[in-house]
Amino acid sequence: MHEAAITQALIEQVRAAMPPGARLQRCAVQVGELEHLDPYVMQTIWQASTANTDLRGAELVIERVALRVRCGACAREFTPADRSIMLCPSCGSVKPQLLSGTGIILRSLEVERT
Amino acid sequence: MEIKVVANVLKLNDEVAALNRRALAEAGVACLNIMGSPGCGKTALLEATLPRLRPALKIGVIAGDIATTRDAERLAHLCDGVTQINTGGSCHLDANQVRQGLANLDLHALDLVIIENVGNLICPVTFDLGQGAKMGLFSVPEGADKPAKHPRIVLEADLLVLTKTDLLPHVPFDKTIFDADLRSLRDDVTLIETSVVSGAGLDAWCQWVRRFVDERKGVQARQVSQSRTE
Ligand SMILES: Nc1nc2c(ncn2[C@@H]2O[C@H](COP(=O)(O)OP(=O)(O)O)[C@@H](O)[C@H]2O)c(=O)[nH]1
Ligand SMILES: [Mg+2]
Ligand SMILES: [Zn+2]
Ligand SMILES: [Zn+2]
Repeated sequence: MHEAAITQALIEQVRAAMPPGARLQRCAVQVGELEHLDPYVMQTIWQASTANTDLRGAELVIERVALRVRCGACAREFTPADRSIMLCPSCGSVKPQLLSGTGIILRSLEVERT
Repeated sequence: MEIKVVANVLKLNDEVAALNRRALAEAGVACLNIMGSPGCGKTALLEATLPRLRPALKIGVIAGDIATTRDAERLAHLCDGVTQINTGGSCHLDANQVRQGLANLDLHALDLVIIENVGNLICPVTFDLGQGAKMGLFSVPEGADKPAKHPRIVLEADLLVLTKTDLLPHVPFDKTIFDADLRSLRDDVTLIETSVVSGAGLDAWCQWVRRFVDERKGVQARQVSQSRTE
């Protein structure tokens, strides 16, 4: 259930980034594929935790960020076809360095002046 | 109006992890974060090997658990300091909890802090605790498909351990599949196979830990002297 911990951290960060006196309409967040976060669970927690607060009614938009790696042997960048097979299509090594696919990033807030 | 932000949602955690890393470096203490499913043998591996690593190494343990202090009790007489963190339902340790754990240990009297993370292979990997190395455990009875199902721990671990190898003759576990899946994720990560029943692999694990502590102390000494001259 780390969706709960992550969504709470997100809500705190949203509050910190909100301009004073504005009302949140939408918040966009990027979630790496390897974070294993269930977007439906995050939505449920978001709704439950923002209801009856200053953020009530705001929409959460979750964008999934695909896994991308760089081959540690030949530096070729590629998206693995299967996330458990990291074989480099150029040189055949299995020395992936993660470029994207991890991390939870708050990207934008859509706000309305009140 | 749209406001662009690029903010790591785990920023707070990562900042506290950086503080932990600095406190450990200043005290010259290496730190190993051990992650694996409930019952994969994290505590048992420590019970079997702490007596061999000590007294040459002074070792503190931070035991993370949802409830109970049982792991801390099992390890108390085997290490130079133990502190239990009860996460109260949370399935991972975060950097702030470890910060409190570190405050309960006499860091200057230690060479190594071992963190036994909450039993879970998924989210502990997301939370940086300030460790110098991450270790992932898989156990034979969990089945051979676990590396393929939990690729991130394989991709990020500094060391992987396959525990309970004494059970290989007794449970269906296709070692060929386990190895092939693991090596389809990374061919450069060290895998140590252990059993606390037969004793297999325990020396190899202790060797790895000793080398890790030596290397880490070298790195930290350079970082600390650099930050002093800056
Ligand atoms: N056969 C066998 N059992 C083990 C081994 N290591 C641990 N166990 C057993 O697995 C169970 C869970 O071990 P524990 O260390 O508490 O797991 P943890 O939850 O990862 O800390 C206990 O009953 C241990 O005795 C091993 O190498 N071989
Ligand atoms: Mg345990
Ligand atoms: Zn968790
Ligand atoms: Zn390559």
